[in-house]
Amino acid sequence: MTGRGGIGLNLFAAAMAAFLVLPIAAVVPAAFSQSSFIRLPPEAWSLRWWHVFLADPSWRRALVKSIEVATWAAALSVVAGTAAALGIARLRGTARRLALALFVGPVVVPVIVLAVALYALARSTGMVGTTAGLVIAHTMLALPYVALNVGVSLGMLDPRLGLAAAGLGASPWRVFRTVTLPLIRPGVLGGAVFAFVTSFDEVVLSIFLAGPTVKTLPVRIWEEIRIEYTPVVAVAATVMIALALAAAGASRLFRRRAA
Amino acid sequence: MSAAQNAPGKPASGTPAAAAFATLFLLLPAGLVLGAAFLLPLARLFGLSGSMPAGVLAPYLELLGDDVYRKVFFNTVFFAIVVTAVTLVLGYPLALALARMRAGWRALFLLAVLMPLWISVLVRTFSWMLLLERNGPINRALIASGLTDTPMSLLFNKTGVLIGMVHVLLPYAVLPIFGAILRIDPALLRASEGLGAPRHVTFRRVLLPLSMRGVATAATFVFLLSLGFFITPALLGGASEITLSMLVENLVNERLAWPLAAAASVILLALTLALLAVAGRFLSPAAVAGVGR
Repeated sequence: MTGRGGIGLNLFAAAMAAFLVLPIAAVVPAAFSQSSFIRLPPEAWSLRWWHVFLADPSWRRALVKSIEVATWAAALSVVAGTAAALGIARLRGTARRLALALFVGPVVVPVIVLAVALYALARSTGMVGTTAGLVIAHTMLALPYVALNVGVSLGMLDPRLGLAAAGLGASPWRVFRTVTLPLIRPGVLGGAVFAFVTSFDEVVLSIFLAGPTVKTLPVRIWEEIRIEYTPVVAVAATVMIALALAAAGASRLFRRRAA
Repeated sequence: MSAAQNAPGKPASGTPAAAAFATLFLLLPAGLVLGAAFLLPLARLFGLSGSMPAGVLAPYLELLGDDVYRKVFFNTVFFAIVVTAVTLVLGYPLALALARMRAGWRALFLLAVLMPLWISVLVRTFSWMLLLERNGPINRALIASGLTDTPMSLLFNKTGVLIGMVHVLLPYAVLPIFGAILRIDPALLRASEGLGAPRHVTFRRVLLPLSMRGVATAATFVFLLSLGFFITPALLGGASEITLSMLVENLVNERLAWPLAAAASVILLALTLALLAVAGRFLSPAAVAGVGR
């Protein structure tokens, strides 16, 4: 592999890479089993549990709800996060530090604390079990990543470009649309994909806020595996892996275009 | 966000007042979301923790004075310490190997480190439930290899929680250390070797001290994330591995003891913030944002 690492170090790295990736892949064969319980590897293969997944309205609804919530959360956090990144870039000194501290907040506060706090508020305002409640919670979680991501793109931008456009008489909105946005587009698109996956993968806030009515895919999986589960849960988990990997691929594509 | 009002705007557009107004306008949507869904709920939770008739401090005294709850605090810190130690021991050599690989190999191995971060913690934990089962593939392999006669219990106990948490948190240890090693000037390592230092001396006297900042960042990230971990210990642990976050969930959903749950959350938050204050000088907001993926 390489001269300087030494064979022992590289073997260790290979073992660690396998430790990181293989356990996640283990759930995929479980989705294609024939029997009613999960045994790895399955003794007989079939699409039986995929039919069950697709025929069960509660799983279908959960998948659709997950995509709906994630789409809204991604859209809102991209708009609010990009605007915020532009705003933070205009701040100096203490105001900038305070704004950054606030934006890092949802990242460092333990998610169970956020979940219980939001649940208490949502209960008293009738937001438990509403799509809007989940969307707002997920937007709060994803927004800081978008703002900080776009902020990095903005930091690499030559400020003279915007000033030149403004000096030539362009309105601030026109400067943003024709100069700034095209240049920070990779950061914005990357942020959008990231926000979508953050929402799509989110479990803890969702199990508190979902109520009986707006169960997302992770909430359904969580409920199933806490009791007795069949391979249909492995199907749902495989669907989640496939979607997350597609998003990761898209995000790499955006980054490559940027380079 | 009130600080934005008196912030000096960039002179890009018109008067200072107009610039400040534009800045405020840009920050408004995010400010509303974070105000309504972050600051307000946390403030209310803080208030809720002081709402017991027995007094503001009553739930805190109850939590800190009870042996059952003390066990929960112990579990939480125990898992955080062990997971941090194990991820550093596994993560450092992996980061070092990554830093020394040729570009193509490095891209492939980085993919293995980064890819798991895209996949829901719930899915990753579920996978471990299947693998660690009594009749699961790991136990069958152990029996087949003759290492044990009867299946080992790897699930619903400390072992399960530790395996799952190390797996989920390892990337957070690798990435900051990898970054720190990359920033070391290779000339320093060559100089040490050129002066005749054996490999382990170069490692101990040059490489390790120069990458210590990355190690400290890694330790802080992993410890912080471990303290608040919920899904993995809840699914892989047993009845005696209750952590602080599981206690909070239990107090809310099973016992409906809101002031206690709020107080436990405030304690968890205080631990997190205290740790951040101590380790803060290692971390920049950009570094914290990098925790994501």
